[in-house]
Amino acid sequence: MTRAADLAAELLATWSDERLDVVRVGDVLLKLRTGDRRAIEIVHWLVLHRRFQFGGMAVREEGERWQVHYLLYDRDPGGPWVEVGYDAPSTQAELPSLSSLVHAADWYEREAEDHFGVRFEGHPRLGDFVLHDEEWPEGLAPMRRAFDASAGAARGEPNCDWRPRRILHEPGAFAMTIGPIYGGIAEPVHFLLETTGENVVRAFPRLFYKYRAVEKRAEGQEIAAALLLAERFNAAEAFAHSFAFCRAIETVGGMVAPPRAHGLRVILAELERLRCHVGTIRAICGSTGLAVAEARASYLEEELLRTCGALAGHRYLFGLNLPGGLATDLSDVSCRSLVGRLSEAERALHTLDRMLATTSSFLDRLEEVGVITEKQASEHGLVGPVARASGVVCDLRRAHPYAGYEHYTFEVAREEEGDGYARLRVLFFEAFQAIAIIRQAVDRLPPGAVLASGGGAPGGGSAFGAVEASGGAALHWVWLDEEGRVARYRIAPPSFVNWHGFHLAAEDFAFQDFPIILATFALSVAENDR
Amino acid sequence: MAGWFAHGIAAGIRTTRFPRRREEAAGVTPGLPQSTRIGARAGEVASRCPTGALVAQGEEVAFDARRCIHCYRCVRGVETPVRWSEGYEWTLRPEGDRAGLRQAGVGEVAERPFAFEPPFRRSINILVMDAGDCGACLSEVRQLTAPQYNLHRLGFFITPTPRNADLLLVVGPVTDAMRHPLLSAWEAMPTPKRILAVGACALTGSIFGPSFVSGAGVGDLLPVDLEVPGSPPPPLAILHALLVLSGRLELSGSPGAGTMAGEGD
Amino acid sequence: MSAAEILFVLFYVMLAAGAVATIVAGDRRAPALMALFGAAAGGLLVAAGVLVLGWSERVEFTLWSLPSLGRLHLAVDRLSALFLIVAGLVFLPVSLFSAGYALRFAGRYSLKAMGIHYYALFASIALLLSTDSLLLFLLAWEAMTIFAYLLVNFDHEREQTRGAAYLFFAMAEAGTAAVVVAFVLLANAAHSFDFAPIREIAGSLGAGTRWAVFLLSFFGFGVKAGIVPVNTWLPRAHPAAPANVSAILSAVVLNMGLYGMLRTNGDLLPLSTVTPGVIVLVVGALTALVGILYATTANDLKTMLAHSSIENIGIVVAGFGGAFVFGAAGRPDLAAILFVAAVYHMTNHSLYKSLLFMSAGSIDEAVGTRDLDRLGGLARFMPLTSIFFLVGALSISAIPPFNGFVSEWLTLQGILRSAELASRGVKIAFVLAGAGLALTAALAITCFVKAFAMGFLGLPRTQAVRQARERRAITIFSLGIPALLSLALGILPTYVVPVLDRAVRPALVQASATGQLVPPFFSGSPAHGELPPAFVADFHNIGAQIGQTILPGRGLVVMHRGGADQHVVFAMSPSYMVVLLLLLGGATYLGVRLATRKRAMRRAARWDGGLHRLLPEMTYTATGFSSPVRVIFRAIFRPRAAEDVRETVSVHFRTAIRRRYEEVHVVSRLFIHPVTHAARWLSDTLARMHNGKINTYVIYVLLTLAVFVLVAWLA
Repeated sequence: MTRAADLAAELLATWSDERLDVVRVGDVLLKLRTGDRRAIEIVHWLVLHRRFQFGGMAVREEGERWQVHYLLYDRDPGGPWVEVGYDAPSTQAELPSLSSLVHAADWYEREAEDHFGVRFEGHPRLGDFVLHDEEWPEGLAPMRRAFDASAGAARGEPNCDWRPRRILHEPGAFAMTIGPIYGGIAEPVHFLLETTGENVVRAFPRLFYKYRAVEKRAEGQEIAAALLLAERFNAAEAFAHSFAFCRAIETVGGMVAPPRAHGLRVILAELERLRCHVGTIRAICGSTGLAVAEARASYLEEELLRTCGALAGHRYLFGLNLPGGLATDLSDVSCRSLVGRLSEAERALHTLDRMLATTSSFLDRLEEVGVITEKQASEHGLVGPVARASGVVCDLRRAHPYAGYEHYTFEVAREEEGDGYARLRVLFFEAFQAIAIIRQAVDRLPPGAVLASGGGAPGGGSAFGAVEASGGAALHWVWLDEEGRVARYRIAPPSFVNWHGFHLAAEDFAFQDFPIILATFALSVAENDR
Repeated sequence: MAGWFAHGIAAGIRTTRFPRRREEAAGVTPGLPQSTRIGARAGEVASRCPTGALVAQGEEVAFDARRCIHCYRCVRGVETPVRWSEGYEWTLRPEGDRAGLRQAGVGEVAERPFAFEPPFRRSINILVMDAGDCGACLSEVRQLTAPQYNLHRLGFFITPTPRNADLLLVVGPVTDAMRHPLLSAWEAMPTPKRILAVGACALTGSIFGPSFVSGAGVGDLLPVDLEVPGSPPPPLAILHALLVLSGRLELSGSPGAGTMAGEGD
Repeated sequence: MSAAEILFVLFYVMLAAGAVATIVAGDRRAPALMALFGAAAGGLLVAAGVLVLGWSERVEFTLWSLPSLGRLHLAVDRLSALFLIVAGLVFLPVSLFSAGYALRFAGRYSLKAMGIHYYALFASIALLLSTDSLLLFLLAWEAMTIFAYLLVNFDHEREQTRGAAYLFFAMAEAGTAAVVVAFVLLANAAHSFDFAPIREIAGSLGAGTRWAVFLLSFFGFGVKAGIVPVNTWLPRAHPAAPANVSAILSAVVLNMGLYGMLRTNGDLLPLSTVTPGVIVLVVGALTALVGILYATTANDLKTMLAHSSIENIGIVVAGFGGAFVFGAAGRPDLAAILFVAAVYHMTNHSLYKSLLFMSAGSIDEAVGTRDLDRLGGLARFMPLTSIFFLVGALSISAIPPFNGFVSEWLTLQGILRSAELASRGVKIAFVLAGAGLALTAALAITCFVKAFAMGFLGLPRTQAVRQARERRAITIFSLGIPALLSLALGILPTYVVPVLDRAVRPALVQASATGQLVPPFFSGSPAHGELPPAFVADFHNIGAQIGQTILPGRGLVVMHRGGADQHVVFAMSPSYMVVLLLLLGGATYLGVRLATRKRAMRRAARWDGGLHRLLPEMTYTATGFSSPVRVIFRAIFRPRAAEDVRETVSVHFRTAIRRRYEEVHVVSRLFIHPVTHAARWLSDTLARMHNGKINTYVIYVLLTLAVFVLVAWLA
């Protein structure tokens, strides 16, 4: 019996009295439908007792009912995905809140409240999340069908009396403000650092200055247009996100990409991971003021961008993924020259790694700074290098392999300290592993087509696609209507999850360490804000 | 610490020779389509463009660089792809009657030359504002400080405050939350000041706007002086625009018009 | 009777008339009468003091001679005259200020009582300074203490006020008790309570008596002056008292403690050995350091000013200490310099501290709070008060061209001259004290930058600030007087130093400081004194004679002779500085206007990072500003966490972090609490003797009798 079957049996046995439908989709997915409170219990049980990772939550408006879906997956290889769903009438004032039990759901619930106007019972911090109070009036609910999403639609008056929510109550405490415009070349984020002068007790980020309502914009679009949105909302990881979206569409349409497409997708995904990690290393070096290392990493990043451009035409790998494979083939010759260029990059990266490890003034600023414990990382459902640096090891490439990852030999990074230096070590490790995977993939690249033939636009249905992007697990969830247009599009990007956990690292620290902690998290505002 | 110094000296000079010589390394630019004579299938090819950058005119497909988002749908998987150019001198003057130009008032913009005048040419401070950008344009701007391009050798510097800034470089379609910061930053900059809009989003809003949260580019808000199309424009294209703004290079013809974009020397 | 005597009599008559008028006229008119009579009395006192200081050696007269009550004989010498002038200069503006300020208590308390106590306080202070009998001195001292207590306790409905006033009274009485013992020792040795006989026998007292008198008088008067370790009453009494009373307390009553110290240890029983002086020096430096540390971290405006008073008194006392050491070590010329510097600082402190306290009172009245964490942006709503507060803050931070700079410079320069002494231990003490004073000066700047910036600049932190207005002209006028005097004393030191020199000579020292500090070639006189002409010619070459005809009072000099033929000169001239500042400032302004006359100026809003609104809770608070000091000197402050609660909802959501720290003043912790604990322990132990049984008491009586019999039999 497979783990999925075991789990299904166990669920049915534990909750035998309630209405609980369990549908097994192959050996990889369990779809559960039940009542709202039971769904919360089951999710909590899976997270607490079966060490499942909370993947994301999606709320849909279907007719007069809310459809709520939770997606979880097993951290260990061989386990299934579990989707727990329930529905409730739209008139129901409050839905039960999961975040007091599974804290990883906190920001999903806050986002749903701003998007749909649906409240979650007992959540102490709803409001002023996606739509800032001083810009937007209350009760807008832009994701509802009735909302007119065109430009220039009339809207009410915002609440100009917005004041920051203060947590620190101490005589003389204040909330030092940073942003939204700060730094030289930085994304807009508004930080409020609560402090009494020396130590910052609590850092509270206000995001969604770059909210472009990608999910709303995708509704009613054809798949080709939605693919553009999936690729471009965070162009630094364009390939990974378009990959996840294409996997979702492939699952709905029953398409299978040919083996050469799998191999090329692995090469390109690892190339993007390498480039992103080098960019993060550059940011860390820059934040500590080690300008020489920053310049070397920056040089390497530009070389990698040029490598991508020479290989695939576009420096950020735009326009490559299609549902069913790739839009264009890459010749074996260019793949082998890629390996050659990467060898140079590998040497440069090794040198950088070695020199950074022996620069004590650099390490002093990273060690024991911004510590996240394993318990905290696990409770907040953190993903990616940040989680692995704190001991929470979950890599989709190993746990739920796709595109042939199960055939490649690579190790998943793991560190225990959870401080800035641990995160840096994870980044270097994964970068070297990426180069190793690319070599293996180029060696084993089979000939053949790169795009699945046949199959027109898929009809109705829903599916999710998940890939391990450089920042962590990226989930794209798609519901298509009968004509094959997007009815609901839900993205659960890794930055959204990790931004939620950022405040754990940013508690009780000296103010000078703030940019360093921020840099070691490799957070993207564009990815979070969608 | 001595190791850094030794390695740095051993690495040598890796900076591009641009603007004194063309940069022709592989991967420095994604290139742009050009207006092409397709034939009977012009309409079909033009309809593949999701943003309307290709317009069929009889058997020709005309290309509007402002709208191109580099999706490659006009060349990949097409039997009669459009022609492609590999240059990077893409700088454009904004055209048309944009709301931002009207708002700024007649005296300030209409007669103002787009390039800086002496004595502001040789040292320009840039305030980079991200108004909802996807991250690619910002990353390309950041690459300008990489050793391969080395912005500082040409007299351009990045500043975090508008009070010191001469040039406002905007990326992103201008989301609603960023309207106020953008306008107040422009207001806080002392004259003489210019605006450079970089990337398809900042020019036309690209695939994100206009909507209830996102605009159709910076031109609706502020008087843009120069535009750089592309998604994202490579660092050399941005550098070209900066040099045109500082009066050290001439504005060439519209990109994609001829075989090669005009010489930049 | 001479003119001075007439003025003195008129002074007392004015106060008496004021008291009578207050009783007759009623509560509502009492503040105005305070202004009228108080200011007039102050003016009279200043005039009288000036007459004595400038033209006499000493003035003696009998106020009344009644057969049954005895004679009230007053004697004012030049040292007393100086203190009288300072007292008058403070009482004048404070009386005017009271006209407006006292009205806030109308209806709740008796303003008549405030007026009468005020006149009585003034009279007792003047009496205390004008006597040459220890007995009368003590009577006036007690009267001053009582009336000061009554005034501090004015707002007696608040429990804090009652407690603070009681502490003030209790500690003042303890100090007075020590002083009484010292005086009894002196009077016993001289068989008289008058100063003159005591001076005569001063030389013949034994070392034990000398030490006893010194310690008792220094720490006894030190209670009133506010030195470590007996100043715990000060930071509580000043905020509790009304602002005009705080100003008097800080600017006049503290000086009485200094007067007592000077009189006893400088005039009546001059210190003959170096060690007592070193003790005074070290205590002064410690006082200054402790005072400014607590001032920097205090958020309540008046508490901060109270601690800052402690700091300034510490500087003055350190100056006294150094002067005592120099005097005992046989260098009366250096002693003269330091005495002049110390009384200069005392005068300056009286002026700018009264200014600051009056400003604080004005703010308290207009806004309703004194907490710096709730003020902010006052410069926009109370511009004139802000300017005067700024003048006070600059003066107290020793920024030229204001008066604080001159006196601190002189004090530090005087301490530097300890290099000319012989004993190494003494020199080390001087070096440490000097370092402490330098650190104090730096912290003082921090403290007042915090006070001015957090209180007056930035965004208003509460709504009450926006409603603050400057309503009364008389308040502004009363603030202006000490502000102008601060500026004047700052830029005209060459005229002030000779006056102060006359005050300390011959009571405290025989040598003259004027010749050293204001050498003739700087002040324009042709006599060059002890300097070789070639050296003076060097000065002329570098332009020391510039402006000789147009700029009087150009400089202050302290000369340190490196060797007989190597003259090292340290000089500074606030008057030059002012001229230079005006010239530079004016030239810059004109230059900028000329260069930009063709350009249009555009005013834009402040850049706040793109926020919609910069809220006051996003800006620095006073606590945040002084937090580094608090952290660095943690060992002294020893904050204790009174509350440290992290509230969560369902474990994961952090909803509140509540923290509060409590501090016990270091002096209380190290000195007062051990003493009180020991006293309590002792009384507890002794209380066990009282077990209520009469048999035990009978045994005690018998035991005592037996002991006495034994002693008498043995003797």
